[in-house]
Amino acid sequence: MTAAIQLEQVTKVYKGKTAVDRLSLTIERGSVVALLGPNGAGKTTTVSLMLGLQQPTSGQARLLGSDPRDRGVRDRIGAMLQEVSVIDNLTVEETIGLFRSYYRRPLPLDRLLRMAGLEESRRKFASSLSGGQKRRLGFALAAAGDPDVLFLDEPTVGMDVEARRLFWASIREMAGQGRTIVLTTHYLEEADQTADRVIVMRQGSILADGTPESIKAAAARRTLAFTAAPGLTSERLLTYPGVTDVEWKGHRVRIACRDTDRLLFALLKGNERMKDIEITAGGLEDAFETLLREAN
Amino acid sequence: MKHTSIPATIAQCKAEILRTARNKRFVFFSILLPVGFFFLFTSTMDSSMTIGNADWGAYYLMSMTAYGVIGASLTSFAQRIAKERAEGWVKLVRLTPLPSWSYVFSKMAAQGVINLFIIVVMFLIGGIGRSISLPLSVWLLSGLWLWAGGFSFMALGTLLGSLRNQDLTQVLSLIVYMGLSILGGLWMPTATFPDFMKTVAAYTPTFRLGEGAWNLVGGGAISLTGVLILAAYVTVFMVLSSYILKKQEAV
Repeated sequence: MTAAIQLEQVTKVYKGKTAVDRLSLTIERGSVVALLGPNGAGKTTTVSLMLGLQQPTSGQARLLGSDPRDRGVRDRIGAMLQEVSVIDNLTVEETIGLFRSYYRRPLPLDRLLRMAGLEESRRKFASSLSGGQKRRLGFALAAAGDPDVLFLDEPTVGMDVEARRLFWASIREMAGQGRTIVLTTHYLEEADQTADRVIVMRQGSILADGTPESIKAAAARRTLAFTAAPGLTSERLLTYPGVTDVEWKGHRVRIACRDTDRLLFALLKGNERMKDIEITAGGLEDAFETLLREAN
Repeated sequence: MKHTSIPATIAQCKAEILRTARNKRFVFFSILLPVGFFFLFTSTMDSSMTIGNADWGAYYLMSMTAYGVIGASLTSFAQRIAKERAEGWVKLVRLTPLPSWSYVFSKMAAQGVINLFIIVVMFLIGGIGRSISLPLSVWLLSGLWLWAGGFSFMALGTLLGSLRNQDLTQVLSLIVYMGLSILGGLWMPTATFPDFMKTVAAYTPTFRLGEGAWNLVGGGAISLTGVLILAAYVTVFMVLSSYILKKQEAV
């Protein structure tokens, strides 16, 4: 079986600026992949290239084994783009109905309304919906054709907490049915909870790629803190392996380090006197920041 | 493999017609205003007056029907295009399996239905409400002319709708619509114009659309010059709008 998405040495240059730089990437079917990165990292351009909305300056993008612009491919994908698009003078159900007519095997209207939480607004004009509701309508449109591959570019911007919860529940349900999902988000927590693979991008290329756990482990700012006996100095602590930062608060010291387990053994071996030892591991957010800081 | 193009195209047409019928500007500019003007100017003017060989009532009915048909393309159609483009709708539709020919065809088919509706409404109002009597062949031919000629204004509507800014489209299309309608003699016959203005009018597409129908109700025929001038406008507007759209999409 071919991969859901394949980018081979894809470069996109416009207006003299390289938005995506020799990016190679394979996304397997059934995986949930989050693209993370600061603004201008090239996430949206990457998604546009995968979708065939933009053509690579060089390299090749394949979606479900074919050119992303193939009609047969279009029938099996769905996308929520960053722009909040609604059409004027049509109701929610008319808009969804219109999109359903485009596909060979659309999902039932009622199911789409339920997934988007728009059952009560079905007869409202789409243009009169709130920002978050429009976003949810966009999700219903993306899911209208029962897609094998679903693209979500910053999907939850403008949604309230309840809408977000419902949205991710629907996404996890879709992922559970073996669909491939590619999302970009600013909310790292959402990527952490939903994705089985996280790709961190910066300046058009991949900075890190792996499970959320492996990224956190590789880059998270883990710290070891304890109350030190008098006489212990920062200079001495910095001689221990892997120590990157030392911070004092009175007698309490907090040491930043990649491998806190190894550091702890080393400190014990070095006969340091420690009380109230505490180890903390950062979340994906810390890992993300560390990665970006190190890259700069 | 089940084919979706036909049902999708029908659904797309239906959506376009619904959007138009619910558009207040469309109802105002293409139905209420021409009907109102028609009643106003056929009751305040001497009804035995003739323009060329045409009776005033029949002449002005053709003017106002042309005015309504043109309004449907310049205000509501242009506005629909501008809205779709501004809100990224076109981009979203490009990601669906809907073929682009179906998208364009639906827009034209829907506009054909809308224009036909305007023509039928206006002719019924004129024929029954003002008892204008014309031979059946003249009703049919002038209706057919206005219907077919009405498509040429879709090209100008597309051009106005392809401007980057939605508000600009709205203001500009209204100015162009009103300006061309007055200049082309749809509001007041060009017979009342000074000579210089008559020359200007002869080059407007609005005058040329009206002219065909005026000739027919006056017992004459559609002029070839008129058809050629309309065709020239269509070509220019289509070239311009496709250039603008290409330029905007080239990223």
